[in-house]
Amino acid sequence: MRGTIGASLPRPDAFGKVTGETRYPADLVRPGMLHLKVVFAGRPHARILGIDTAAALRQPGVVAVLTAADVPYNAHGLIEDDQPVLCAVGEKVRFAGDKVALVAAESREAAAAGASLVVVTYEDLPAATDPRAALAADAPLVHDRHGSNQLLHLPIRKGTIERGFAEADIVLDGTFSTSWQEHAFLQPEAGIAEVDEQGRLVVETAGQWLHEDRRQIAKILGLPEERVIVRYAAIGGAFGGREDLSIQHLLALAAWTLRRPVALIWSREESIVAHHKRHPMEIRCRWGATYDGRITAVEAEVIADGGAYASTSAEVVKVATLFASGCYEVPHIAADGYAVYTNNVPSGAFRGFGAPQAQFAAEVMVTRLAHTIGMDPVELRRRNIYREGSLEPTQQPLPPGVSALPVLERCVEEAQVHLGYGLAPQSLPATTSLVAESVEADQTATGSLTPRSARGAGNGRHSPSHLRRGVGIACGIKNVGYSFGYPEQSTATVELHGGGDIERAVVRVGAADVGQGSHLALRQIAAETLGVAPGTVEMVCDDSAEAPDAGSASASRMTLMGGRAVRDAAIEALAKWRDTDDLHVEATVQYRPPATTPLAAGTGASQPNYCYGYAAQAVEVEVSLLTGQVQVLRIISVHDVGRAINHQQVEGQIEGCLAQALGYALLEHFQVRDGRVLTPYLSTYLLPTALDMPTEIVPVILELSDPNGPYGARGVAEMPLVPLTPAIAAAIHDATGVWLTQQPMTPERILTALNVGTALEKGSSNEITTTIDTKSTVTAHASK
Amino acid sequence: MGDATTIAPPKLVIQVTVNGTPHRNEVEPRLLLVHYLRDQLGLTGTHVGCDTSQCGACVVALNGKAVKSCTILAVQADGAEVQTIEGLAEGENFHPVQQGFWEMHGLQCGFCTPGMIMSTVALLKRNPNPTEDEIRHALEGNLCRCTGYQNIVKAVQYAAGQITTGSQAVNQSGNVGTPRGE
Ligand code: FES
Ligand code: FES
Repeated sequence: MRGTIGASLPRPDAFGKVTGETRYPADLVRPGMLHLKVVFAGRPHARILGIDTAAALRQPGVVAVLTAADVPYNAHGLIEDDQPVLCAVGEKVRFAGDKVALVAAESREAAAAGASLVVVTYEDLPAATDPRAALAADAPLVHDRHGSNQLLHLPIRKGTIERGFAEADIVLDGTFSTSWQEHAFLQPEAGIAEVDEQGRLVVETAGQWLHEDRRQIAKILGLPEERVIVRYAAIGGAFGGREDLSIQHLLALAAWTLRRPVALIWSREESIVAHHKRHPMEIRCRWGATYDGRITAVEAEVIADGGAYASTSAEVVKVATLFASGCYEVPHIAADGYAVYTNNVPSGAFRGFGAPQAQFAAEVMVTRLAHTIGMDPVELRRRNIYREGSLEPTQQPLPPGVSALPVLERCVEEAQVHLGYGLAPQSLPATTSLVAESVEADQTATGSLTPRSARGAGNGRHSPSHLRRGVGIACGIKNVGYSFGYPEQSTATVELHGGGDIERAVVRVGAADVGQGSHLALRQIAAETLGVAPGTVEMVCDDSAEAPDAGSASASRMTLMGGRAVRDAAIEALAKWRDTDDLHVEATVQYRPPATTPLAAGTGASQPNYCYGYAAQAVEVEVSLLTGQVQVLRIISVHDVGRAINHQQVEGQIEGCLAQALGYALLEHFQVRDGRVLTPYLSTYLLPTALDMPTEIVPVILELSDPNGPYGARGVAEMPLVPLTPAIAAAIHDATGVWLTQQPMTPERILTALNVGTALEKGSSNEITTTIDTKSTVTAHASK
Repeated sequence: MGDATTIAPPKLVIQVTVNGTPHRNEVEPRLLLVHYLRDQLGLTGTHVGCDTSQCGACVVALNGKAVKSCTILAVQADGAEVQTIEGLAEGENFHPVQQGFWEMHGLQCGFCTPGMIMSTVALLKRNPNPTEDEIRHALEGNLCRCTGYQNIVKAVQYAAGQITTGSQAVNQSGNVGTPRGE
C-alpha cells in the first residue's frame, strides 16, 4: 500500500507483549523435559586433570553428565573455531566462564544438585589478564597452538605520517581507556531442544542469526545442516550479545545425545559470567593540526582485550582501527590495531562494534585540538569532516551518500535552539581549562563560537554553586553491514496468492527481530512494494527451515539488507504475477551489496564498507563538584537514516540506544580482577533507570537517501552509541575544565580528575604537558 | 550421598486466588512466588530477568500492591489475591495501561513490559495523575534495556489520561505526544 513507508504503524507483536501471551524462550519449557545445568570452570586459566562424574550420576534425578568426550567436533566460533563446547581432560580452561560439563536431570533442582557434585581437578596456570602484558614474549599463552597471544595486528597507513606531523602547528597526545560493557538484554539466555518425528534436531532459543546458529550446531554434531532446525521464540533484546553461541549448542548436544527434550535457563549471573562483552581498549594517539584548522596527521595504537576466544575480535579491532581518525579526512594516518588473547571473559559484538571506543578517543582529541588552536570545535569539525569523495584511511573514496556534514550542521542548529549553544554573547575567560592546553591557543584565540553553555549555570568555577553545567558536541560514523570482504548477502522469498487481486502475500526472510521491530519494517517494505495493506502480508522469519538466510540482525544492516532483499523479491514476484493467470507465484532474490575488500597487508588499503551511517549529538550536563555525579539534562541526537521506514521505530532505536550509550559513558562499570568477574549481578553492574535518563531527548531524523537501501534506507541501530561518550566528556570539560579519558566516567574518576586539576592549577605552572587521572597527556609544540 | 531432594522439607498446601481464580496447590516451602506462577500455574507472562530483585520484570499485584514476585515465597501468598499481566484485560478490552503501552509504543523486545505495566497499574491506583517525575520515580525499580524509557513515560501519561479524564482530553493535551510519522 502506498504511503506505508515512514508510517508509524503499531507493532503487531505488541498485543502479545502487553497481555503476557508472548512466549520467550524460558516460557517454552514443558513438563517432562530434562533440565540442563552447566558446570563452569570458575577459574581463569588451568589444565583439567580429571573430571569425576560418579557422585553427580548417583544424584536422584540426574540422567547424564555430558563432557567433552560426548562432543563429536569440539570447537566452534563465528569466525575461528577456537572455543571448545566443553573443555576436555588434559586440555585447558581459558576463562572463568568456560564450560566443563553439562548435567541433565529430571528437574532443575536435581540438575543443580548434580552440577555441584561434578568433581573437576585442575592444575592452575598463570593467567594473562592484562592485554598489553599478554603481548610480551614471556607471557603465559592462552592458546598454546597459536604461539602468541596476538590474535591480530592490523596496520593502516595513509600518506606519510612524518610529513603529517611536520606540517602540523600543534601536536597533541592522548591516552584513553575503556572497560567491558555487558549487554544485559533483559531476557537471560534460555531455550529448549528436541528431536522431532522426522529425526531432525530442533533448537528453539533466542539469537541473532538463525542460519549461522544452525551452521555451527550442525558442524559440532557432524550433521548435515538440513537435519538441524533453529527457531527463535520472542527475543528479549540482543545488542550483539546473542551473536556468539551461548547455550544453543549445549541444548543441541544434550537433545541429540540423550534423545529427550531438554531445557536450559541461565540465571543472570550465568549470563554475565559466560557470554562475551564489549572490548576494553586502550588507545594511545597523537593528532596534529595547523592553526588554520587542518588536521594533518593521526597516529594511533589500539589495543583490545579479546579475552579467551576469538569471537569477532579481529573484525571489531579492524573497525576500531579504521575509525581511529573518526569521521575526518586526514591525509596522513598511521594506525595500528591489536586484538589480544587473554584469560578474561571473551569480547565480541556489542552495538557499535569497535566504533564507540575509537571515536571516544578521536572526538575528544578533535575538541582538544580546537581548544588548543583557539577554534570553535564545530568549525574544526566542519573543515575536516568527511564529504562526498573523501578518501578513507584505507585510501579509497567513501561509498556515495556521505552525510556527515549536514548531520553536524543540523545538530548545531538544534543545539542552538535547545541548549542555547554558542548563541550568548561570551565574556567568559578563555583560560578556565584545568588542563593546561596551550600557550599558543591563548595567543591565537579567535573569539569565535564557544562551546560553553550559554543558558546554564555554565562555566562553573566562577559560580558559587557546586553544580556546574556544560555543553558538549560530538560526531560519529558507523558502518552499515559487514566489512572488509566478509561475504554479505540477504535472501528473501515473496509468495503472492489470489485471483484478480493479491489476497495474501507471504514474505519469507530469516531475519531475527531482537526487539528492534525488524519484522514490522520488512513488512512495511513488502506492503509498499506490492501495493497491498500491511495486514495482507504474512511474515515468516523465525525458522531456519521455513525462511531463507537474511544474515544476522547486527551491524545495523537488517533494514538495508533484509529490506532490499524483500523489496527486490517483491518486485520480481509482482512482475510474475502480472505475466500469469496462476493463483500463486513466488520469487526468491538474493541481494548482494557493492563488494567490500579485505585490508591489504601492511597498509590496510581496501574498500572497507559499502555504507555508513552518520550521527552528531549535543548534550548538556550538570556536574556536582562535591560528589562527582553527572546528570545528563538534555540530548540532541541527529541521524541520517536514509529513509525512515517506520518513524516511531527509528525514534525508538535512537532513544533506546541513547540509554545504553549513557550507561556506557557514566554508569556501567564492568569489573574483572585476575580474570574473575566482580560484577556478575544487576546489583553490582548498574544499568540506567528511568531516573538516569534526561527528560529531554530530541531525536532528529534526516532522510538523505542511500543509493542501495530500500526506499533509500540505511541503518541506525548502533549510531547513537558512537558520539555520546565523547559528547558527555566534552560537556563535563565545559562544566569543570577537566577531561575524562577513562570510560565509564564515574563520580570517583571525576572527583579524582577535579582534585588533580585543582592541584595543577594551584601549582600554576606554565608547563604544557600534564597528566590527569587517566594518563592523558597533552603536548603542544610549535613546529614552525 | 549429597542427595538434595531427600533432605527437602515437606511440601505445604497453599490457597491463592490468581486473576480471580482460586488455586489450591502443594508447594515446597522455598518456592518463590514467581516460579509458582510460571511453573505451577503456567502463567509465563511474569518474567524473570535477574537474581537479585533488581529488574522488576516479575512484578505482580499482591492484594492490590505491586511486588517483585521473585522476592516473595509462594507460601507467603497463602490466602492472598494475586493479579498478573494475564488477568489485567477485561475480556476483549485492554486495561488502560495496556492500551497506553500499545498506543505510545512503550516497548521493543517486550520482556520488561508486563512488570512495567503492573508497576504502572499500582502507581495509578495510588496516584491517578502523576507528574513525569513521579512516574520516573515509581518505575525506578523496573529496568528496560531497549526503549530508553521515553515512550514508557508517555505510555503511563496516556493511561493516566484515560483513567482520569477519558481519551478525548488526553488527545488534546500536549504532553502525551501526537501520532507521528504521518
Ligand atoms: S526477576 Fe528481577 S526483580 Fe524479580
Ligand atoms: S522493551 Fe526490552 S527490556 Fe524493555
